[in-house]
Amino acid sequence: MKRKWTPFFLLLPFLGIIGVILVSVGNVLVQSLGYIPAFGLTRLTLDYYRQIFAREDFVSALQVSLRLALWSASLACVLGVIIATALVRLKKAGGGVLSVIRLPILTPHAVVAVFMVQLLGQTGLLARVCYSLGWIQDFSQFPQLLYTAGQEGTILAYLWKEAPFVAYFVLAFLSGISDTLGQAAENLGASPLRAFFLVTLPLSLPVIGKAFLILFIFAFGGYELPLLLGSTLPKALPVQAYLSYMEPNLRARPAAMAMNGVILALSLGMALAYWAAMHALAKKVGGIR
Amino acid sequence: MKRMIALVLAMVMALSLFGCGKAAKEPDLTTASWEEITAAAKGTTVTFYGWGGDENRNNWLNTTVADYVKQNYDITLEVVGMNIDDILAKLSGEKQAGSAKGSIDMIWINGENFYSAKENGLLYGPFTGKLPNMEAYIDQADPETLNDFCMPIEGYEAPYAKAQMVFYADTAVTPDLPASAEELMAFCKANPGKVTYAALPDFTASAFVRNIIYELCGWEQFQTMEADRDTVKAAMEPALDYLRQLNPYLWNEGKTFPDSNKAVDAMFADGELVMGMSYGPFTVATGIDKGTYTKTTQTFVFDKGTIGNTNYMGIGFNSPNKAGAMVVINAIISGEIQLTQYATLRDLPVVATDKLSAQELAAFDAVDLGQGVLTQAELLAHRLPEMPASLVPIIEDIWLTDVVGK
Amino acid sequence: MKGNFLFKFLLALVLLLILVPAGQILLWSVAERWPWPGLLPESYSLRTVKELLFGSAKLPGLLGSSITLALTVGVLGTVVGLLTARATQLYDFPGKELVSFGAFLPLLVPGTVFAMGIQITLIRLGLSDTVAGVVLVHLIAAIPYCITILTDVTRAVGSSLEQQAMVLGASPLRAFLHGSLPSLMPGILSSVSMGFILSYSQYFTTLMAGGGRVKTLALVLVPYIQSGDRALASIYCVAFVGSALLVFFLFEGILHTVSERSRGK
Repeated sequence: MKRKWTPFFLLLPFLGIIGVILVSVGNVLVQSLGYIPAFGLTRLTLDYYRQIFAREDFVSALQVSLRLALWSASLACVLGVIIATALVRLKKAGGGVLSVIRLPILTPHAVVAVFMVQLLGQTGLLARVCYSLGWIQDFSQFPQLLYTAGQEGTILAYLWKEAPFVAYFVLAFLSGISDTLGQAAENLGASPLRAFFLVTLPLSLPVIGKAFLILFIFAFGGYELPLLLGSTLPKALPVQAYLSYMEPNLRARPAAMAMNGVILALSLGMALAYWAAMHALAKKVGGIR
Repeated sequence: MKRMIALVLAMVMALSLFGCGKAAKEPDLTTASWEEITAAAKGTTVTFYGWGGDENRNNWLNTTVADYVKQNYDITLEVVGMNIDDILAKLSGEKQAGSAKGSIDMIWINGENFYSAKENGLLYGPFTGKLPNMEAYIDQADPETLNDFCMPIEGYEAPYAKAQMVFYADTAVTPDLPASAEELMAFCKANPGKVTYAALPDFTASAFVRNIIYELCGWEQFQTMEADRDTVKAAMEPALDYLRQLNPYLWNEGKTFPDSNKAVDAMFADGELVMGMSYGPFTVATGIDKGTYTKTTQTFVFDKGTIGNTNYMGIGFNSPNKAGAMVVINAIISGEIQLTQYATLRDLPVVATDKLSAQELAAFDAVDLGQGVLTQAELLAHRLPEMPASLVPIIEDIWLTDVVGK
Repeated sequence: MKGNFLFKFLLALVLLLILVPAGQILLWSVAERWPWPGLLPESYSLRTVKELLFGSAKLPGLLGSSITLALTVGVLGTVVGLLTARATQLYDFPGKELVSFGAFLPLLVPGTVFAMGIQITLIRLGLSDTVAGVVLVHLIAAIPYCITILTDVTRAVGSSLEQQAMVLGASPLRAFLHGSLPSLMPGILSSVSMGFILSYSQYFTTLMAGGGRVKTLALVLVPYIQSGDRALASIYCVAFVGSALLVFFLFEGILHTVSERSRGK
């Protein structure tokens, strides 16, 4: 009897926390359906959802967010894995180098935005270096990297912060695989490159996939960096939700919640897609979790 | 054993979810006398929520004002830095949850934020009628005492400081400063890509657009205009045309705008832009003192005038210490505190000059405002009133659809 | 070894890209004017250092309370993570898959969405504007990372050491403390430091849950960034990152000592 209930007790704090999350998600959904008694709105309706889908800037906002998430997550994962590999191969998986790589993880978004403006702005450091090298004569000649419709600045900012995160996240796993199976492959005659691409990388895919999912949802739902570094128009979806929530006209709140609902639904969809993909992959590769 | 630990942890978490209520002990403020209110406020703490990015103001509040209310009324002032949007979001969340005792006592507020907060029942009032210093120091006939952005205040907020829109440029770089919208257009053509304003709904940029509207469409018609999108759009059409024509000469050809006025200001300080703007008429003096601006930076306004407004202090609907809030607000509108605000922060005072004693008047005149600024008289001679708060979001929305990138 | 050269070059580039902005911020924090096109500031001043140490933010107290709060989140997150990891790795029960999915839930809900939704719940529970409320909200953000780290470590260590100890007569608690705990230490410290970082850098959630009354360094930092006083904002950034790094190094030190000691055993 004791044994059977032990896991349940162990899970109580965890379940409590999950409960709080579900309640707040519930709050958002209920408000998005128009139920806010304090403001006199008591009728459940899908109107707010219809409203935002009908807005002409909704599609562009969605496109911006998807684009942002896809590019940030992919580039960060690729770069992060390369960094982790470099650390493993050069036996630098500890000490000073790793501390520097950890710096971006410690940095809050608002500070990352400041860094990017200082580095990539038209009067930023890169521009000033180009000027000293004589490549440009005036700062207006330096390409506009921030505040563009393509959201390049935001993507670079996410990259700066998240590539080190991916490196950190996959490092332990990657070094474990590399030291054992990767080494084994090399001993059997494969070149280091082949060993990496055919053994280490495929086996690390589940961990890399997890990192990709985390980053995608993070970039998709985040508002701070697109707000500070993105274009005036089109705005990313979370930025619109945030601005609607902050509007002095509190009647805009259900619309803000509806936007949040859409973001939630898409995040959940991504997660389920990831789960399905990982299951299929596990069957193929033979499951080292 | 592990089971026990888990169980205890879970119980602790469950128990901690039951918060304790705060004891209420306030007299009926509608009928109480000022002596009773002051007595009730004695020994209490008052929170003052407002934008926290101005370090000088923070220091002034935490030292001069806090010391004053502690010595004279035994009140502890707690200054909390928070954006007005976040403050209103918090209050509306508390209203939604039916929370009767919040934590926000005083709020630094004005304009469309005040209008929305009052409409949605987020403010306590009316209360200014009870403050002795309202009669003693504030001009009761001043339109800015009765209306905030043309919306009747009805005693829900008390004046805090006055602001006026000004522009500034470095005369060493651009010796000729524009004094009208027309001259501004020529100025931008002469300095292409080096002038801009922040994206609306930034507070200062929004005022800039309203200034242009006043210049080209006349300000009187807006004072009583209906908050209808088509009416407003038709009235501001000349300004929309102007702004669209201005776009190609702006930074980034008007395709995108900096996210806030502070970004514009930073670009000006760096030399990326040749002109800046601010609601604080004496910011140039502070900037020159700090060393961020060159000594040749100069403030200027348009001949037809620039918009001025007042910012105010309100009280949260569920403030746990309304009596204390009233006492502190009363202290801040006194001549004594307003003088320190003028001297330390270089903000236009709200006190009426004809209500000041000769001594107090002399003290105000003796204040050195610093370099690169206009005198109070010059500013007030070129001051235009704000338009109704309800029109502001409409204008901001029209700007987004009809000017950006056009 | 050609491949190694490429990696070295890449790593150096990455380090440069990380350190250069950090260096810029350091310079900005003591700069007065830094106009185009200078590569270094035109003039310097110590105004911001004075304002940082003696200004309205009351830095020493603020640092202390921010670090304590973040450490609390780290420790609580690790405790919850440990318990949850034990449940999923050492026991079998229906719905195990759901738990791993549940651990991911905070990551699936974007921070802002969650903050907007939790505000009302916290008010109703009487936790709004309290430190406890902020800790709870930060805990939720930290949980996925803590659980992930501790799950891997718990699985690796297993329960064999504990079972052996119990066979020899030790109570379950002693078996855990002396058997598994030392081997779990690296994972535990990693989880605490991860939870610490996450809590320390939170802004929007602290704002919504704490209502501005619960003051952390990250919370105070953002208005200064928005204020336009770049020098002051920069020195606060330096204070923030500097203090985070310090705590981090402390953890590294502890980790080192602990692993040395356990290896000696």
